[in-house]
Amino acid sequence: MDSFTSSASGAGSSQFSNEEFMDKLKLQLAQAYAQEFLETVTGKCFEKCITKPGSSLSGSESSCVSRCVDRYIEATGIIGRALFSAQR
Amino acid sequence: MDNSALNSAQMQQFLNQEKEKAMLNEMVAKLTNVCWDKCITSTPGSKFSSSESACLANCAQRYLDMSVIIMKRFQSMQ
Repeated sequence: MDSFTSSASGAGSSQFSNEEFMDKLKLQLAQAYAQEFLETVTGKCFEKCITKPGSSLSGSESSCVSRCVDRYIEATGIIGRALFSAQR
Repeated sequence: MDNSALNSAQMQQFLNQEKEKAMLNEMVAKLTNVCWDKCITSTPGSKFSSSESACLANCAQRYLDMSVIIMKRFQSMQ
């Protein structure tokens, strides 16, 4: 964010080309989306896999977490296809 | 940033496209969140059972059906 506000106000000199702006915006949107996804998955998998937090993460808990992450990604794909392919 | 650049047709089109993509992403994310809770009741296995994946797909489609019904209901109240 800083990088483009600062250079946008930068002495009226080189302003961004449209292309540069679009690339930056896309990148930031992708980052925001990834961040949100990460937070959601962390929350969901904590709920599922860490039912009784112990003094350290057990082996079965960590394998549950990795399966959970894989399944959540798969679920996102299933939902996306259900919404946008079949009927509509 | 130059305002004329922001207002250019190309830029408007780009922004509209991105907005639409963001809305679709948002919808998928939200439905995945909701339907995960409804359909995945056991500890996640190494693959979904067929009933789990069917539940996920049905859940998403019924959610849409439902929002149409609710929208109509609200419109009829006016």
